[in-house]
Amino acid sequence: MHMQTEQIRLRHMKTRLLLNQISKFIFMLSAFFGLFFLAVLLVRVVTEGIGSINFGFLTGKLSTQPERAGIMGAILGTFWLMLVVAPVTMFVGVGTAIYLEMYAKKGKLVSFIQTNISNLAGVPSIVYGILGLTVFVRTLNLGNIVLAGGLTMSLLILPIVIVASQEAIRAIPFHLSEASYGVGATKWQTIQRIILPAALPGILTGAILSLSRAIGETAPLVVIGIPALLIPFPGSIMDRFTVLPMQIYYWTLDASLVSEYANLAAATIIVLLVTLFILNATAIIVRNKFQRVF
Amino acid sequence: MKVNKFLLFMIIAAFTALIAACGTESDDTKKDDSAASKTPENNTAAAQETETEDLEGSVVIDGSGTVYPLMARLAEEYMINEQEGVSVEVSRAGTSAGFKKFLVENGTDFNDASRQIKDEEAAEADKLGIEVKELKVALDGLTFVINKDNDWANEMTPEQLVSIFLADGNVEKWSDINPEWPDEKINAMGPNENHGTYEFFYEKILDKQDMNSNVNLQQEYSTLVNLVAEDKNGIAFFGFGYYVNNQEKLQAVGVDFGNGPVEPALDTIAEDGAYADFTRPVFTYLNVNHAKEKPQVRDYAIYVMNNINKFAGETGFAPIPETEVQEVISFLEGLK
Repeated sequence: MHMQTEQIRLRHMKTRLLLNQISKFIFMLSAFFGLFFLAVLLVRVVTEGIGSINFGFLTGKLSTQPERAGIMGAILGTFWLMLVVAPVTMFVGVGTAIYLEMYAKKGKLVSFIQTNISNLAGVPSIVYGILGLTVFVRTLNLGNIVLAGGLTMSLLILPIVIVASQEAIRAIPFHLSEASYGVGATKWQTIQRIILPAALPGILTGAILSLSRAIGETAPLVVIGIPALLIPFPGSIMDRFTVLPMQIYYWTLDASLVSEYANLAAATIIVLLVTLFILNATAIIVRNKFQRVF
Repeated sequence: MKVNKFLLFMIIAAFTALIAACGTESDDTKKDDSAASKTPENNTAAAQETETEDLEGSVVIDGSGTVYPLMARLAEEYMINEQEGVSVEVSRAGTSAGFKKFLVENGTDFNDASRQIKDEEAAEADKLGIEVKELKVALDGLTFVINKDNDWANEMTPEQLVSIFLADGNVEKWSDINPEWPDEKINAMGPNENHGTYEFFYEKILDKQDMNSNVNLQQEYSTLVNLVAEDKNGIAFFGFGYYVNNQEKLQAVGVDFGNGPVEPALDTIAEDGAYADFTRPVFTYLNVNHAKEKPQVRDYAIYVMNNINKFAGETGFAPIPETEVQEVISFLEGLK
């Protein structure tokens, strides 16, 4: 009798161990799935584009002639765009999060706003482009300048920044603000001196990650109407501009006219990937540096 | 906590400074930029022609994707060799989409078009008080392309080609055109309604008869190139330029207008060439009000006409007669 149960247990042990191995294998596969395609993309892009990357390409002006085409204009355009997007989203995004988490009374209005923010995060980016075209480019008559593009991109990433900031604020232990109120601090003093410093790593991580989304986004700018050929460098947020992903888009399409454009597009992808990598690395460093354990 | 507070303050201060700086600082750098880059240009230009004045501002061009390569090439040459201070921006939303941006208050300065302006578009211009001048810039041959492996349909009559695209053409398979051809479905494609090429095809080639709803209409010419390159039964139409740059992927259908098959080529699509029945002029439409108000727009228009025939060939267009060019130039020079 005793022997029998022992055998059953052993038999079960085998299936359990097998199941254990299989599940490990399945999860490993899913982990490598993304990695595999990333590797394919990288190999393809690098082999196609690395030959086109040189000093002249990085610092030169745009051109219809592949041998003298450069992407400094697109790099500067991306830079100016970020100069609009970063402050606008930081201010409005963190402001919204503070209001929702610290001031607003939990009720119908807050849950209404909350639901809408979550919904906005799922709206396709091209819809933001149509919104930007109607409001900033046409109604406010800004034209297709950096400011209009930047405000459109800000709208696009605001929901992400708001949600990330809310999470960061919510993660702060209650006793910190309680103690602050306890020694007589006002709400604003508490936010300013306790909440924001403690939530900063989380907020910055969210903001930087959403900025890298804005850098790579094309659809809203296609709608706003970024010129296919724009040679002068943008010098301020009131200038017309082009950005790295738009250049990739146009060069890929025009590869049917000039086959060397495919290499230029690949080279631009490399530049864009390096930019994104630097941004994401910054996000990680910022998080690690300022992370505190309460 | 002290460190963090300080950091937060610094970040906010930095952002505020940036916002404040955006307007003023950038304008300065821009002026410096243009001044610095202009100086050497000024000297050389002054040495060559003393009367050329330096212009600035922008020239905004949108419209046909077919005409885009030619206009982009001209825009670049103008900025490099003529007026470095002027920014010529070329987009290509398609002829019809471009007219929507052209025929508005403060619209674009030029609209490239692979068909003539329509009556309702001209009426819209009148309503808005926009004086429009049609500039014929080159000749383009409507080219039918097929897959490299297609070894039966390399020569067709215009009637056969039209029947493929007509709603009541009664052609679904290649064998419907010629019993000796494969019993396989034809996959007909073309540019969509945003494009002047579509409208030229519909109005002039199909004679406004309904197009077959099976025709796969695309926004991008590159998509059409790839689709036909990968489909043995594919056939598509577009401007000669898109064919000439993809000859290694596609072959053109020789069209038999009655005197034997004619391949589209720069000499056959030229004025009175053998391919003339499928040749169309392409245009750019100038907002004359803008040309009068903005010297750079007028100057650029004159530059375009002076150099159009020089760059037509390399971008896949046939040149237009020199007399027509001179007529337009004297009109433009009269604008003040």
